[in-house]
Amino acid sequence: MDSPEPKRTVSREDASKESMAISRQVIGINFCGPTPLMWRADELKSARELGIIGTLVGSLARQPRQNTRLGRPLELLPEEGRLLADMGRAAVIPDSTNEDPEVNPEQVQQYHAGMENSFQEQGAMALEDRKTTLLRVMTAKHNGEGTSSLTYRHLCDTSESCVLALTPLCFLLEDSGSQEDSNGAVRDRLEALDHGFSFPRTAMAVQLCTARAGLSHCPEVRRLLATDWPIPRDERSETRFRVFRDLRRQGFYLTSAGKFGGDYLVYPGDPLRFHAYFIVVCISMDESMPLCDVLAIARLGSNVKKTVLLCSSGESQEDDGEEVVYTSLQWSGMV
Amino acid sequence: MYLQLNKLVCSLVLLCFTAGGMTDSLYVFVPRGNLVKAVWIPSDLIVELQSPAGKFWQTMGFSAHGKQCLHPEEALYLMECGNLQVFYQDLPLSIQEGYERFLYSKTMSIQHYQVFGHLKRLGYVVNRFDPSSVPSQYERQLNLPQSQDRSGRLPKRKRSHSPTSRHTGTQEGPTKRMEEEKDCNREEEDKNPYFLPDLSAPDIDEIQTASHVDPTTLTEGGQSRSWWSMEGSLDPDPELPGQPQSSPRWDFRSIPFPDLGSRRWLPSSLTSPDPCLLPGAVGLVGACDVAPWLQRLNLREVRMSRRERERDRDRYQRDINQDTEVRRCRNWAEYQELQERRIQRSRRDRPAHLWEGPVTPLHDPAQVTSTGELLDKISVIKSTRLLEGASSLKGSEEWRICFNIYQPDTVAEFKKSAPGKPYSRMCVCSFDGPVPDLWTLKLLAFQSGDIPVTYAVVDHGDISFYSFKDFQIPTDVSF
Repeated sequence: MDSPEPKRTVSREDASKESMAISRQVIGINFCGPTPLMWRADELKSARELGIIGTLVGSLARQPRQNTRLGRPLELLPEEGRLLADMGRAAVIPDSTNEDPEVNPEQVQQYHAGMENSFQEQGAMALEDRKTTLLRVMTAKHNGEGTSSLTYRHLCDTSESCVLALTPLCFLLEDSGSQEDSNGAVRDRLEALDHGFSFPRTAMAVQLCTARAGLSHCPEVRRLLATDWPIPRDERSETRFRVFRDLRRQGFYLTSAGKFGGDYLVYPGDPLRFHAYFIVVCISMDESMPLCDVLAIARLGSNVKKTVLLCSSGESQEDDGEEVVYTSLQWSGMV
Repeated sequence: MYLQLNKLVCSLVLLCFTAGGMTDSLYVFVPRGNLVKAVWIPSDLIVELQSPAGKFWQTMGFSAHGKQCLHPEEALYLMECGNLQVFYQDLPLSIQEGYERFLYSKTMSIQHYQVFGHLKRLGYVVNRFDPSSVPSQYERQLNLPQSQDRSGRLPKRKRSHSPTSRHTGTQEGPTKRMEEEKDCNREEEDKNPYFLPDLSAPDIDEIQTASHVDPTTLTEGGQSRSWWSMEGSLDPDPELPGQPQSSPRWDFRSIPFPDLGSRRWLPSSLTSPDPCLLPGAVGLVGACDVAPWLQRLNLREVRMSRRERERDRDRYQRDINQDTEVRRCRNWAEYQELQERRIQRSRRDRPAHLWEGPVTPLHDPAQVTSTGELLDKISVIKSTRLLEGASSLKGSEEWRICFNIYQPDTVAEFKKSAPGKPYSRMCVCSFDGPVPDLWTLKLLAFQSGDIPVTYAVVDHGDISFYSFKDFQIPTDVSF
């Protein structure tokens, strides 16, 4: 089977090229207050391939009034964002809302021109749509199908936004006479459409953007605009980050675990396909943990069938050579 | 229409993909006729509608100087639903820009918006919390109808026509802070929480200075004002930070009220009261002659029956010199022995070694009491309720109630002008922050009045709801 194979390899090359393009892309992270967010769909994909999961927190565009599936933006853990920035794969885009210039007439003009174009295109498409419907009616009548009355009703229902008088159609409905007559009437209607069709502005579909359109998706501009990741000041964030980085290096996927009383939930693979194995609680090396806290977290872990990991990072300040110490808690008998 | 629009959408989507110009947009296409246009006003932090509002107006938004407005979080939610298009500097805002511009500070951060959006998507009606709209304990006792009518509506009950400023002087009304403004806008239909609820505790002094406002402005509302509710709301003044005052306007401890019934001091005339306590039109009043008022007081002697007189004599009018036993005592020592004997007689049941020392028994068995009272006596820890001592707590910057929540099934009859009692009030926090301590619980429960407070804990997109219920451990004893 030689002929199908070349096609498959070609498509595989395309896919790999695409993924390479995605992987070389610099992800932009925008801050909303202290929270890092990501807005672009392609960047979400590339982040996921790097092992950064995040949480979707916005309304889903096509079904905004439900909570089971949410849409963009993707909220990142601060450790996730910092890891991406450290790897050089992400850049922080500074908030440009404070520098408020006056009205930019060029952009406004562009926007209005775009809207006008869209309106014209939509008008043309609506006209085509109307014509094809009428043609279909004609051919249906020709074939002698009994669906003509239904099609007429469909036409009547959908003619709200178009300047189509209903009376001739109703007349056609009543007139169950020869097909030739009705076809002629439909042909006349088609010609009338060409002259008298108008697409009202209120029926125009308008596009609402999720992410900010503009220059900031261009990688060169992004590198120019990027600022550094805000350095955390306290020891706890540092510990958390080191633990996160170490676990991520080992190939685990991590998400936040507030519901489980810990810092992270550790998955062996993509969270959509696996259950979490561990609950990570980050504590510093010299901090002493009260016994009732240990009991509480151990109980919790055994109830949800996950192993609790108490993690602390080593004393060294450099990036290499430091180690993270893991202690697992398991409920066992006096064996 | 739906079929046609669907086809249009499909062809438009194809168009966008092939054109390749715009990247990364919300692929929702809304017919222009359903899209409400609005403008973002950063100086006031509101979104002003430019075309008439749709169905969402029933539960969201407010009117301000003749225009329909929305709070930023409401506007952002409607933008995400595809019902609203907000323009700033003549260009439409994307959702990203909405997040960056509208969720600006600690009072309405992204966590607050996540809670807001979560609840709205479930169908609840969520409004901003206004601390001065909570009726005080006294008002709840009086069980006044909680109307938030504007001054345009007449109160249902007829009452004697009296200068309104006297009533506002005695009311502990909601939204006291609005008295600082001058304009009364009669076109308001609903409560306008213009200012972000700022729960820093108001100083008593501040209230005093704020309340000593020219009372004539308050009378502008006219006769048609309901005396227990606030008069008309005003233009949002961004310079004035909202000062919610939930304590009474007058400090009764500092206003001297003469006591005409006291026998010790009968003034002949009363001096003129402080003009700031009087309605504005009255001004300075002269001294008041007390005599005609005293005549109206009942200063007659009380007529007691014979039994009462005897009791009175035995208890209160005993003259020790008339006592026969005392007369028989010849010297001081004998008198002291007499006293001693009398005391012993009265304390026959109480042995001296128990009762005369510094430590006395907790309970005298001769006294009749019930098991419950006994248990109360021996208890070391007294049980308390959540709201005990809560009224003296000052406000906190960190913990505040953000939203009122109304149930989804009330949406059909929901009226913004008279929303009724909320189902719950929401306070937003996160797992990174401190756990609310007892002080916070008391403070927020007191601020909320009789509505339970729910704590929404936001953890990177996941929201959990907790509430603390006041609970009394049942006692197994019959009282």
